[in-house]
Amino acid sequence: MKKIQITTTINNKPRKLEINPNQTLLDLLRDEFGLTGTKRGCEVGECGACTVLINGEAVNSCLVLAPQIEGKEVLTIEGLAEKGELHPLQKSFMKHDAVHCGYCTPGMIMSAKQLVDENPNPTEEEIRTAISGNLCRCTGYVQIVDAIKEV
Amino acid sequence: MKPFEYISAKTINEATEVLKVLQSEARIIAGGTDVLIELRRPNAKTPQTIIDITSIDELRGISESNGSIILKPLATHTEIQKSNIIKKYAGLLGEAASVIGAPQIRNRGTVGGNVMNAATCADTVPALVALGADVTLQSVAAARTMPIVDFFIKPYKTQANPDEILTEIKFQKLPRYAKSSFIKLGRRNALSISRLSVATILLYNDAGKIIEARIVPGAALPVWQRVTEAEQILIGEKPSTKLFEAAGKKVSEVMISFTGRRWSTEYKEPVIGALVRRALEKASNYNY
Repeated sequence: MKKIQITTTINNKPRKLEINPNQTLLDLLRDEFGLTGTKRGCEVGECGACTVLINGEAVNSCLVLAPQIEGKEVLTIEGLAEKGELHPLQKSFMKHDAVHCGYCTPGMIMSAKQLVDENPNPTEEEIRTAISGNLCRCTGYVQIVDAIKEV
Repeated sequence: MKPFEYISAKTINEATEVLKVLQSEARIIAGGTDVLIELRRPNAKTPQTIIDITSIDELRGISESNGSIILKPLATHTEIQKSNIIKKYAGLLGEAASVIGAPQIRNRGTVGGNVMNAATCADTVPALVALGADVTLQSVAAARTMPIVDFFIKPYKTQANPDEILTEIKFQKLPRYAKSSFIKLGRRNALSISRLSVATILLYNDAGKIIEARIVPGAALPVWQRVTEAEQILIGEKPSTKLFEAAGKKVSEVMISFTGRRWSTEYKEPVIGALVRRALEKASNYNY
């Protein structure tokens, strides 16, 4: 199996990689880069725990073939904080007790990030639609919605 | 996943040249929301080569031309949902795209993939059948176009040969006064597969009577088609709940005539009828 050369940006750092094509972006992020903030949940695109942003769009990294990030910008939860300062979404999630076990949280926040970047004043319905691809078993979603509303 | 070779095609020709040689040993990938799941199944049939077509610019875009809409296969469900052209001239397709999966799926999944995968629950297909779309397939040797209603053989099987890729979906714009809708029934409000769905288009005359109706159920018949027996009931009539109920009942009868009475019929029989009624009501209440 031929390795594939790709040029990409991960969390604002340009990278040149040589990778096996038969892995998902989720595998690459966690196993190659040690970026374990992005979680394995269902691994079939039905829970959102693996959500990252590619060129600003939320995607299930379990359904992206690793070479497909060629020429793209990938942002994971680890890439949100800037110079040690948490992103407003991260602060708001903490303030509103929107983090219980924390497993859905990275994916939730990445979905929320796409929303707030595109739509600074979303309605509750727009928030709920934006996170409709992220399952949470702990919170009942209300605290998560409130946290996103405040940003 | 088992090992495979990976090629990122830059042109249609590059992709079809590889397919000409490898035929079914190669697999096309676009958004990957169906392909990745299949590749990761235990005992998956792993292709020798994966051909990534997402860098082929000629396969992107949603445009208008001479009264038609040209939908390129790499258009994602998000792009279709947001497209003003689709909103104006093919509302039901935008509605269908907007209820697929969830935002993460819609940001990656493509209409081309939805059509080529041909799952029974595919959501863009009933809308495309109602719109009377044509699909164009291309191989190294030739291109051919056929009505989408003839394109499907059975679930997960289309007329496409192993050396062909889908290059275009085209349909006539709906008139500005056309009313259309798409309704999906799933086990959840999002992240769900369609259990049943209905696409409808209604055209009225100045007197408020229905002069054209198109009804296409999804996940209900062996392959997608318009239910003309139900459409006929509506022609020449003014919209009403009773009328739409009658159309719904007819769709239900037609469905059972295809499928016979199965374990699921007790559920599907009244439900498809109700969904057809709701879809027609939703279409008739649509205001621009």
